Amino acid sequence: MKIPLLIIGSGLSGLAAAIRYARYSPDVLILEKHSRIGGLNSYYYRNKILIETGLHAITNYAKPKDKKAPLNQIFRQLKLNRKNLSLHEQNQSEIRFIDRESLIFSNDFSLLREQIQEKFPHCAEGFQNLIAAINAYSPYKPKPFLSTRAFVGRYISDPLLSEMLLCPLMYYGSSLENDMDLSQFIIIFRSIFMEGLFRPHGTIKEFLDMLFDHYKNFGGSIRTNSPVKRIIYKARRVYAVQLESGEIIHCDNILSTIGYEETLALLDRQVEKDTARRICFIESIFLLPISCRDNFSQTKTIIFYNKSETFRYERPREIIDLNSGVICFPSHFSGVEPRQYFEIRSTHLTDYQRWKSLENDKPAYIAEKHNLSRRSGNFIENIIGNFNENIVYEDTFTPLTIERFAGKKEGAIYGRPRKIKDGRIGFDNLFLAGTDQGYFGIIGSMLSGISMVNQHILPTL
Amino acid sequence: MTRNDIKDLILEIIADIDEDADFDNLQSDQPLRDQLDLDSMDFLDIVMELRKRHQLQIPEEDYPHLATLSSCVNYLEPLLENS
Repeated sequence: MKIPLLIIGSGLSGLAAAIRYARYSPDVLILEKHSRIGGLNSYYYRNKILIETGLHAITNYAKPKDKKAPLNQIFRQLKLNRKNLSLHEQNQSEIRFIDRESLIFSNDFSLLREQIQEKFPHCAEGFQNLIAAINAYSPYKPKPFLSTRAFVGRYISDPLLSEMLLCPLMYYGSSLENDMDLSQFIIIFRSIFMEGLFRPHGTIKEFLDMLFDHYKNFGGSIRTNSPVKRIIYKARRVYAVQLESGEIIHCDNILSTIGYEETLALLDRQVEKDTARRICFIESIFLLPISCRDNFSQTKTIIFYNKSETFRYERPREIIDLNSGVICFPSHFSGVEPRQYFEIRSTHLTDYQRWKSLENDKPAYIAEKHNLSRRSGNFIENIIGNFNENIVYEDTFTPLTIERFAGKKEGAIYGRPRKIKDGRIGFDNLFLAGTDQGYFGIIGSMLSGISMVNQHILPTL
Repeated sequence: MTRNDIKDLILEIIADIDEDADFDNLQSDQPLRDQLDLDSMDFLDIVMELRKRHQLQIPEEDYPHLATLSSCVNYLEPLLENS
């Protein structure tokens, strides 16, 4: 039997694409190499505790009545009822440039405006003009690469303020070192500062389960533990995939969400050298007894910090760069019920090559993981106060962890630096969605899956 | 299908896409897009629903025929003659 649509990968872009298609025709099959769905945004268990792998916060918060907002578009396109999902908005987040300045923002954009008025009065007018320019820009139209730094510099005269605005946006959505594609900046500026951050009720598991049940109700299929070994093609058409098991599955169309170079590898095609380096992170999770929750200010949901002279968003020279990072309190969202433990997460830039060199020396790798987790824990105490003596469990994801479990090349969660926005990679019936198509985060990934199905697959039905 | 059946079919599909759609003051010769705040993704949904419910294949170049309620009825009448 020939499958009309095969989707490789059950991360959020693959799931959204699959649901979008299954809404009109149940003949869609997802191939997932792991036993569990979710890709980068998944979960695992340690000592019976559920630990999320990727989720800090979801961007693009919108009220139900705001029909054109990306969040509501997703619900509408997937025919999901928003009433079935309760959302928890962030309390407040902070951009802290240590010993220099701090800006607070929330899901009410006027707070950031007031903060800039108060702390950067000389930039207040420029900031207003920047907002007007952002509102006037159409980021979804195909455009060549434009530098965000150059664009922001036109409106914001104080480099400190531009760095502070860029810091959270880069951490939550730039695949490029020290700059961003302008369209990407416009999208992520709106999604974080103008719309805002939230979490779904429960954990990422409930969110994935909800999507997956919805997909099954439409009649869609999935095969887990089914890694694809190669894609069989002739000239510009693909015909089938062969699984690692040897089995061949014939298909009319393929949507690959596993990355551009990762997809080319399945086609035995040479990868054109991309000289730009991928951005890699190390993330530590610290669990404390729930009684410790009162030690922290509830008002801080996420803290984006930097302490160096200029904020450097690049592959560090050392294995880790503690000079900047993200600290997330997953329970500091409005109305979140306490779980068994109080959780703190820290994220820093790291160098993939150094981890790679430890790959075959397991004791050294584990020691380095532990060492860096301790260094991060000790460092962020300067920002959020003491907590290390109370830690009951701690774990760390390195780029190797992500490469191994999510299949992302170099464990770079934002994929290759340059994106392929139309999803076309030289075939008539094979398209790209997800990270390397160019939208990030849970909302971005889902929009990517939906828009690639709308553009390339549904009109051919 | 009669012209009235087709009109009801279109309204039912739109109501299914947007449960808050308000048909009270809908003018049948004015663009649906403006009156009901529909976007191109919503029009794709209308096309896909017609395909799913009545096995209609509407090529992309014919999408403009779906602009108003009257033009939808005119366009779909011969196609749904026997349903």
